[in-house]
Amino acid sequence: MSTTWHAADDLLARYVRGDADALQGASLEQHLVQCADCRARIATYIDAPPLDLVWTRIQEQVQAPVPTLVERVLIRLGVSEPDALLVAVAPSLRASWLFGLAITLGFVGLSAAYGGSRGLALFLLVAPLIPVAGVAFAYGPDVDPAYEVGVAVPYSAARLLLLRTSAVLATSLPLVLAAALLVPALSWTVVSWLLPALAFTAVMLAASTWTRPTVTGVGLGIVWVCAVGSAAIDDNPAAVLDPPLLLIYVAIGVAATAVLHLRIRRLTPLRSLS
Amino acid sequence: MTATTTVKLAGIRKRYRGTTALDAVDLSLQPGITGLLGPNGAGKTTLLRIVATVLAPTEGHVRLLGRMPSTNEALAEVRRRLGYLPQEMGFPRGFTGFAFVDYMAVLKEWTSRAPRHDEVRRVLELVDLGDVAAKRIRALSGGQRRRIALAQALLGDPDLLLLDEPTTGVDPEQRVSLRQVLSRAGERSTVLLSTHQTEDVAALCDRVVVLDQGRVRFDGTVLGLVATAAGRVWLADAPHPAARASWRTGTGRHRNVGDAAPPAADLAEPTLEDAYLLLLGDRALATAVAS
Repeated sequence: MSTTWHAADDLLARYVRGDADALQGASLEQHLVQCADCRARIATYIDAPPLDLVWTRIQEQVQAPVPTLVERVLIRLGVSEPDALLVAVAPSLRASWLFGLAITLGFVGLSAAYGGSRGLALFLLVAPLIPVAGVAFAYGPDVDPAYEVGVAVPYSAARLLLLRTSAVLATSLPLVLAAALLVPALSWTVVSWLLPALAFTAVMLAASTWTRPTVTGVGLGIVWVCAVGSAAIDDNPAAVLDPPLLLIYVAIGVAATAVLHLRIRRLTPLRSLS
Repeated sequence: MTATTTVKLAGIRKRYRGTTALDAVDLSLQPGITGLLGPNGAGKTTLLRIVATVLAPTEGHVRLLGRMPSTNEALAEVRRRLGYLPQEMGFPRGFTGFAFVDYMAVLKEWTSRAPRHDEVRRVLELVDLGDVAAKRIRALSGGQRRRIALAQALLGDPDLLLLDEPTTGVDPEQRVSLRQVLSRAGERSTVLLSTHQTEDVAALCDRVVVLDQGRVRFDGTVLGLVATAAGRVWLADAPHPAARASWRTGTGRHRNVGDAAPPAADLAEPTLEDAYLLLLGDRALATAVAS
C-alpha cells in the first residue's frame, strides 16, 4: 500500500518528545499505522528502550522523597535543590522544630505583653538563645546520627555549617521579632535583643572550629541565664540591654567573626571524634 | 612498593588519653580486597577511621591515592574517591532509604538531580534494596539498615572502599550476595574490610592483615596465614589438655588446635580460623606466663 506523503523529521521528533499537539499527534498515529517507512524512521528518534524509561519514571515517582515544607520554601526563595536538601536534614530546620518554636514564642510574647517585669525577663532570656539552640541543633556529632560518615565526604564542612546557620537565622529571627512586637513600652528592646543574638551566633560558629556546637550552646546558655537572672533579681531585666552592654555584644560579635574567618578552614581537616 | 600503591601508612601511632590504640603501624595497600582481622579493641576501627580521613593519627604519615591529605584541597580530592562504611551508623529521623542515600550523594557532590537519583537507584539495587527504598529506615530490619549504610559507601564507584564490619546483622543469603558486590568492587578498587568473621576473609580477600593490641601481627596472603597452621590442627577422639582450643565436631571427633599431637590423632586440614586462633593464642600464652 502506498502513501502520498511522509511525516517530516521535525514532526517525528516532536511527537517522540511529547511536544506534538493533539491534532498533529492523532494524524501522525493514523499515518504510522499505514506507513512502514515512517515507522522505521520514528524508531530512530527513540534513544532508550521506552519501557526502561517508563519504569525509571515510575520508580522515581515511588521512591524519590517528597520535598519537605522547609525544602519547598527554600527552593522557592532561590536556594538550589541540593542545598535545600542539605539544610532541611538538620533537626532545627524541620517543620516540627519551627512549629514548636512558634508556639514557644507565642507564649513568651504574651507573657512579655501581660506579665510585667517577669514576663519581660522571660522574653529577654529566650530571645537571644533561640538562634543559639538552632545552630546547636543544626550541625555536629550530637545531633547528626550520620556525622562520622558525613566527615569523609568532599562537601565542605564550613559551607554546610554556614548554610545551615543562615537558614536558622532566616527562620528563627522573624519569629522572635514577631514575639518582640508584643513587648509593651520598650521601643528599643524590640530590636536590641538582636545584638546579643547575633553575637552569640558568631560565638557558636567560631567555637565550632574547636568543639561541638552543643557544648558551646550549653555554655552560652548558662552565661545568659545568669546575666538575665541577676538583672531580674534587681527587678530590672532590661538592664541586660543597656547601651554599654550593647557595645560589648557588638565587640564580641566582631571578635568572634574575626576568629571564625581565621579558623574556618580548620573545620574540614581530620578531626578527632572522641 | 609498586606504582599502584593506593594507601601507604608509615609509623602510625594513635593515642587516646593514655591508651595506645595503634602502635607503629606500617601498611601499604594495592587494588584488591584486604581483610583486617583482630579481636575487639585491637585497633581495627581506629585504623579504618584514619584511612577514611575521619581521624588524625597522633604520629606517622598517611598517603592516600597518591596524596598527603594535609591541605583541605588534597583532602577533598581524596574524599571524592573514597567510600566509607563506619562501624556504627545512625540515620536522620523519618528518612527513607532512598532519601538517606540521596542526602549522602549530595554531600558527595552529585548536584544534578536526575543523574543523582539514577546513581542512588543503582547502589540500592546493588545491595538488593530496590524494593524497600521508599520505606522508612526505622521500619527496616537490622540487616537492611546495614545494607543501606553500605549502599552510600558504594556511591560513585569509589577507588578506595573502607568497610568496618559490613556484614554485621546481615543474614547468610544476603551475605553471599554482598560478597559478589564486594568482589566486583575489588577487581578495580582498593577495598579494606574489617571483620570478626574469618569466613568473610577466607571467601573474599587475597590478603589479610591481623591486628592485635594496636600492632600488625600478620600481613600476607590468606593462604600464607592458613599455612602457618599446617601440622598444628588435629582430629582426635578426646580433647587434648595442651591444645590451644579444642571442640567436639559434628562427626564426634575432637578438633584440637595446638602444636602438641594428641594420642591417636590425625592431622586435619587447617582453616583460616585455626591459623587466627594459633596466631593470637601465642600472645595470650605469653601474657599468662608474664603475669
